[in-house]
Amino acid sequence: MKSYEYHKPKTIEEAISLMGSLEDAKFIAGGTDVMVLIKQKKISSKCMVSLRNIDGLAYIDTQNGLRIGSGTTHNTIDENGHIKRYYSALTDATSRLGSKQIRNVATIGGNICNAAPSADTACPLLALDAKAVIVGQNGSKTTSLDEFFLGPGKTILSKEELLKEFVMPLYGENTGSAYIKHTRRNAMDLPILGVATRITVSLPDENISRCKDMFCTIDSISNILERLKDEGVKCEDVMIAMGVVAPRPMRAKNAESVMKGKIVSSELFEEIGNIAAGEAQPRDSIRGEAWYRTEMIKVLVKRALIKSIDRVIRPDEAFYPERLW
Amino acid sequence: MDNFTIVGQKIPKIDAPVKATGDALYIQDIKVSGMLHGKILYSKYPHARILKLDTSKAETLPGVRAVVTAADMPPNFRIGVMKDNPPLKSGKTKSIRDEIAAVAAISTEVAEEALSLIEVEYEELPGIFDPIEAMQEGATLIHEEVKSNILKMPWKLVCGDVETAKKDSAHIVEDTFSTQWVTHCCMGTSGCIAQLDASNNLTLYSNTQIPSLAQNDFIEALNAFGYKNRRVRIIQSVIGGGFGSKLDTYAYEYIAILLAIKTRKPVKIIFSREEEFFATSPRQCTITKISQGCDKEGRLTFREIEMILDNGAYTSWGATTPSVMMLPISSLYKVPNIKYVAKCVYTNNTYCQAMRGYGNPQATFAIESSLDQLAEKAGIDPLEFRIRNSNEPGEITPQRFKITSCGMKECIDEVAKRLAWKTKKEHKGNRGVGIASLIHVGGGARVYKSDGCGTIIKMDDFGKVDVFTGASDIGQGSDTVIAQIVAEVLGIPIEDVNVVNNDTDICPWDVGVHASRTTFVAGNAALGAAKKIREQILEAAGKLLEEEPSFLDIKNSIIYSTKDKEKSTPLGKALRKIHYTLGGKMLMAEYFYDPANENFDREFKGNLSVSYAYGAHGVEVEVDKETGQVKILNYIAAHDVGKPINPLLLEGQIYGGGLQGIGYALGEKMIYKNGRLMNGNFLDYKMPTVKDVPPVQAVIVETDEKDGPFGAKGIGEPGLVPTAPAIANAIYDAVGVRIKDLPITPEKILKALKEKQGRT
Ligand SMILES: Cc1cc2nc3c(=O)[nH]c(=O)nc-3n(C[C@H](O)[C@H](O)[C@H](O)COP(=O)(O)OP(=O)(O)OC[C@H]3O[C@@H](n4cnc5c(N)ncnc54)[C@H](O)[C@@H]3O)c2cc1C
Repeated sequence: MKSYEYHKPKTIEEAISLMGSLEDAKFIAGGTDVMVLIKQKKISSKCMVSLRNIDGLAYIDTQNGLRIGSGTTHNTIDENGHIKRYYSALTDATSRLGSKQIRNVATIGGNICNAAPSADTACPLLALDAKAVIVGQNGSKTTSLDEFFLGPGKTILSKEELLKEFVMPLYGENTGSAYIKHTRRNAMDLPILGVATRITVSLPDENISRCKDMFCTIDSISNILERLKDEGVKCEDVMIAMGVVAPRPMRAKNAESVMKGKIVSSELFEEIGNIAAGEAQPRDSIRGEAWYRTEMIKVLVKRALIKSIDRVIRPDEAFYPERLW
Repeated sequence: MDNFTIVGQKIPKIDAPVKATGDALYIQDIKVSGMLHGKILYSKYPHARILKLDTSKAETLPGVRAVVTAADMPPNFRIGVMKDNPPLKSGKTKSIRDEIAAVAAISTEVAEEALSLIEVEYEELPGIFDPIEAMQEGATLIHEEVKSNILKMPWKLVCGDVETAKKDSAHIVEDTFSTQWVTHCCMGTSGCIAQLDASNNLTLYSNTQIPSLAQNDFIEALNAFGYKNRRVRIIQSVIGGGFGSKLDTYAYEYIAILLAIKTRKPVKIIFSREEEFFATSPRQCTITKISQGCDKEGRLTFREIEMILDNGAYTSWGATTPSVMMLPISSLYKVPNIKYVAKCVYTNNTYCQAMRGYGNPQATFAIESSLDQLAEKAGIDPLEFRIRNSNEPGEITPQRFKITSCGMKECIDEVAKRLAWKTKKEHKGNRGVGIASLIHVGGGARVYKSDGCGTIIKMDDFGKVDVFTGASDIGQGSDTVIAQIVAEVLGIPIEDVNVVNNDTDICPWDVGVHASRTTFVAGNAALGAAKKIREQILEAAGKLLEEEPSFLDIKNSIIYSTKDKEKSTPLGKALRKIHYTLGGKMLMAEYFYDPANENFDREFKGNLSVSYAYGAHGVEVEVDKETGQVKILNYIAAHDVGKPINPLLLEGQIYGGGLQGIGYALGEKMIYKNGRLMNGNFLDYKMPTVKDVPPVQAVIVETDEKDGPFGAKGIGEPGLVPTAPAIANAIYDAVGVRIKDLPITPEKILKALKEKQGRT
């Protein structure tokens, strides 16, 4: 293994100025992507600028929405009850990312800056409408995460820029979200396909308890959806994000706009799944064939959406009938 | 086993503490003074002509001590059963793992840099990556000198008269099944250190699972290098898994020897994980055409199989797996008429090797899947169908296997009971149950001239004992089993037994860790030696205690008279008295056990093993019809193992085998595209993780095997033999699609479901 210089700045400013002055330098946070790339000889930077000693990069702030520092580990996020309750899609991702050992060191910032099409936290953050706060030599700026990704391994960050945090809006009781990671193994696996959804629904108060009851059954998705339709459950707002179906994590914007404002129903979900599948451009790879990925978008978009609605209706439910999703 | 205090007990592996604390010395940990590090340059193309090979730049890199190519190897020196594999290749490369050159340097980093300085010019040639294509008339010859891509190893077994049986059958099914390449995934990668002394005797530190046969191979190599009549000593490190991968000698070992000769220094070569994936030999993939029939009552009438195996570019023991496939083909269930023909075919793919089960899983996948089809056609419940055709004790099978103990029916019964077969069959809702059985050698296997193992036992002055065995412990726990056997016979605690198994200078001969034979053969050898030394102890103690030896017994390291309570002495004290006296002696004993099994005759018939292991696996699955994913809800693995010597280790073999089988069935596959491995890493090679372990129940069905040590039979391989067909059968039961090509991926299931939907 090649040797390299290792710098340990104490502040964001110091880190940025080091990146400016050092030739051929790279940020390293948890190192779980960087070290692999070095071993595979895909990068050969002479200097590493570690972000681990910077105070104020690892935090979760739940006042007024959600702010997560880029240096926060997946495990820290995973253990946060507030996130689990109001930003469930993110917990769905962090709970199954790599293994416990990886989650203990790997950071959410690293996951996003590495910009793999399969990055597990990318879909939830997109669906949760996260903004990225970027700090550079000329101060800081905020961009929507949707604009952050350019392609596999490519982001809008320049070499001297550092991703400081993610900012998400406050979501109320009528909003639920979910992420489904479709894998061949239950751990240590990247998704064949990932789908995250966030939905805000409205329904007449008096119907809530009946909806709750139906979610407690193990009825088929289409039957549950028909009942939700009868109860007048309406989609007020929705975001759908997909991973591994394009060079970068993407939103299914057409599907979102068709869905917005409609009463949920089996046909609508069918249609949404198909539209989303049409928006994707999956490829054949050794990890999965394009036709299968397309088929799975149809299935998983439906499942993620209903899981999101379930979370609105049964927010405190610890157990969701596994056979559905 | 009530009379025994150590045999039959759940005793944790005696080497567990050193492994758990990291103190165990694997080949990676071993350092020899003055040692250099070797690295190998592999071919860039699976099939190419080498136009130019220039090592001059590499040679001048500081820290490089030697660069070698085919020109440095003795001309015409070839390895492997067919002697078709030169350790360093010249002229034409035939696979992506072809070794072109190698470097010895002061560090692996320098060696790697040197590799990048070797200049090779290739002319890429079109390759053959499909055995069917390779068999065609006029196909490019992989080995020009042998004139055909079909290996000159014709496998053919004929018993009875299949043609007549076909005419007499009430129901016949025919289909084709195929299996994929999978690899062993040992935690410890391959490696060795080659060291020559001043007289050119070789010491090889190694993690081989065949020390005695390897010794033979390397003596041959030294001869080829011009060092006639030299000694070869194999010192084994702790071995981090074998599963058959270390059952042959490989190019890298000969390259290490060559580099040691060139540099006159010890040279270490350790495979990186990437090399372990692409440069070691996987389980062979097979295409199996099978036809089976039964009469009106559902009794099997015949089994006919034609098989094609992708041999890859060179030949290792893997090419002889059809001999073991004959075992289930001829003798899994009672089938009077058998015909089996197999062809191994050269291609430009990686070459294959032994892997746990040695062909049995591939054959059993075809047989047991087809058997379900036949049961359906005959309108008989698949479990009932199997009971009707089950093997029985005392049977002599068409291939002339003499079945001694046989708990097959009991195993099937256990599966039926624990899976609640009858109720589950009526079920539905995308759930289904499946069953498959197995037969395997359980009392050694005479595939070599000898199936023997030697043991030497030596008592010290304190009542402790050193056992020198030929048997290698590759993680399966044979050291523990051997220690248990010796401790039981000598009446001493297991901690007082030290098993030495890693040095050909000290340990007697053994054919190797294969064929699930170690507990049976090495166990019998240890038992024989322990009994001999016990006699010596009691004989001498009889004199000391003035008692008839036949009235003496040893318990808790005390020799005592069963007749007269007064007469007793601690074992250590007795041994010291026997030693420290005029004309005294140290007690030692040796025993060589070679089971009374037979080599196959020219027709591939004969009693290969002195006993046979049986088992049945039952599984309940749930299939997600929208995604094609399979979830294993319940897994029963019932095994007839004779008498368990250590139920804990036994269950470990069953769990481990079962899980390896589940990987084989549902996910593992080495993806080769035009001769190149596309997924040589643990991310893309889908070996199951601990989170993928379904609920597995290991059920031990006891039979008494008269020839086994304390009644035991082998269990090393059986655990993964019937897994894939049991799962395939359960999936069929659940959703009505039969996947005939392993692994059973969600994609294949979904595609089959869509096709089925399209049909109806
Ligand atoms: C065994 C294993 C399993 C894995 N499993 C998964 C999985 O299931 N799902 C998944 O999505 N990923 C997985 N990964 C990938 C990896 O763990 C994640 O992407 C992780 O979140 C990366 O975080 P890190 O802190 O280790 O990043 P690092 O490796 O330290 O950095 C990654 C990249 O981001 C840059 N970077 C890091 N922080 C910042 C910042 N604040 N500002 C600017 N640039 C920055 C680095 O320069 C580098 O380019 C796995 C990795 C391993 C080794």
